[in-house]
Amino acid sequence: MTVIHVPRSPESAMDPQRPVNALLRAQMQHLQDAELKLPARLQTDIYVNAIKTEGEAGEYIRRVTEAIHQAHDGAAKNRARTARKGTGVIDIAAAAEVGRPNRGSRIAGKKKTRKKSTKAAKKKSKPGRRA
Amino acid sequence: MSPGLESLKHIVVLMMENRSFDHMLGGLTATHPKIDGIRPGLTNPDTSSAANAVSPQPLADFQGQLDPDPDHHFPAVDLQIFGGDTSPNRAANMQGFVKSYFNQRRDLKHSQKIMYYFPPEKLPVLTTLATEFAVFNRWFASIPGPTICNRAFAHYGTSFGRVDMNLLYVNEPFKSIYNRLISAKPKHTAKLYYYDTTSSTMEITNLLQHQPELFGTYPQFLEDCRRGTLPEYSFVEPNYNDHDTDRGGEIANDQHPDHDVQAGELYIASVYNAIKQSPLWPNIALLVVYDEHGGIYDHVVPPACTPDKFTASANATGTGMPFAFDRLGVRVPAILISAWIPKGTVVDRVFDHASIPATITKFFLGDYSPRSPRETSADIFIEPQAAPVDPARNLLSLDKMRTDCPDFDL
Repeated sequence: MTVIHVPRSPESAMDPQRPVNALLRAQMQHLQDAELKLPARLQTDIYVNAIKTEGEAGEYIRRVTEAIHQAHDGAAKNRARTARKGTGVIDIAAAAEVGRPNRGSRIAGKKKTRKKSTKAAKKKSKPGRRA
Repeated sequence: MSPGLESLKHIVVLMMENRSFDHMLGGLTATHPKIDGIRPGLTNPDTSSAANAVSPQPLADFQGQLDPDPDHHFPAVDLQIFGGDTSPNRAANMQGFVKSYFNQRRDLKHSQKIMYYFPPEKLPVLTTLATEFAVFNRWFASIPGPTICNRAFAHYGTSFGRVDMNLLYVNEPFKSIYNRLISAKPKHTAKLYYYDTTSSTMEITNLLQHQPELFGTYPQFLEDCRRGTLPEYSFVEPNYNDHDTDRGGEIANDQHPDHDVQAGELYIASVYNAIKQSPLWPNIALLVVYDEHGGIYDHVVPPACTPDKFTASANATGTGMPFAFDRLGVRVPAILISAWIPKGTVVDRVFDHASIPATITKFFLGDYSPRSPRETSADIFIEPQAAPVDPARNLLSLDKMRTDCPDFDL
């Protein structure tokens, strides 16, 4: 088996002060479009047109990329919280039924029944009207 | 069915930046004549009144030579391919590279550097992989234009009519290869690994905004290789900028001029090593390919191709002529790596980046629509497992896995 030695770049090859190339400029513009759709609290206060070097471009790219991920993570957590809340409401309602069987359950039951019956009546009536 | 195809479960694509085939691999022709690179007699005229012939020379440097960045936007590439001829019945001749580079600095001597290529010993990683596995003699950029629209072809099989860097794919008719895979039934797995958040990805406007779960970082790619948890399809991006991190400086390794080419060599070797040392090595094929030629000389005329569903207007191309996406861009290096590929394979069929979603789709999903006309007509570089396999087209053709594949000492 052949083992090929791969030389490393000299330290002088790295230059975060190098002027931004057209590719990075385009990448930043695309990110700026994405940034404008983020919640205000996640937007950077960086003026993209003033970015001149690769190091500055990298910093902007990092902040917006992380913000996009953060925004999606936040939305996912909110979704999960809403789903949990939904379960919680049912639990509380169930507990209320147990705690106050006479009044609470009856009122809730009446309202639900009334709404359902109204909707059901409308649904039933529609086909009839069409016909 | 060949054992190589039967074993194949994961396809990885590493897309580098802005180097032409002749520039990176052309020097191999001297020792490997089947590789269609630099031969005697290739020239480009300079801009002097005598129009002196400038020959390719093995003088390419890792850095500091191609400054300013050679123009590779649509009008410049048109000049490079057609030599400045704008007549209706013009023929491509690859005679405009020196002229195009001269336009940027008005320096006759400097403009000749666009013809420089690397002697193979300066690129031990890329040239070793090219000669050890399968190198493509006819892999072209998808468009005679810049990065973003060419990369779009690798993700979507089209650039939706764009020939520039301003892609916003909203409500477009064709799904990305990632969406196709993850929404298939049964569901497949796909990931796009960018280097780190400071470099991020060029596939920004659509997928990162709407589906960030498709993305991972390069350290995650290395970990997925080590643990054998790679998705079925992985697209790996290099580091596009020099930046500082808590761990120290991260050098750009995309090989985009004027970034250090040696850093890119190290990166390609690191991706290869991670795959070769993975428990999945028998089940992986790795494609190393460049997005476009970056304005650097290549001698092969890009062929005509099936027109796309879209047309770029004369105003959009900047040449005064519309473009129907009916011609490929300039040739780029492309190498397919697998333990099932015979050493020294040279492929002469025509490919472009639309071949990437075409191959991945065919291999994992079979028939799929809708896809762009460019993608449906693009050739595939890995035969599907389901169909009867034509041995002449199957690159993973060995009966037994190779045990002599090279290693890179990083």
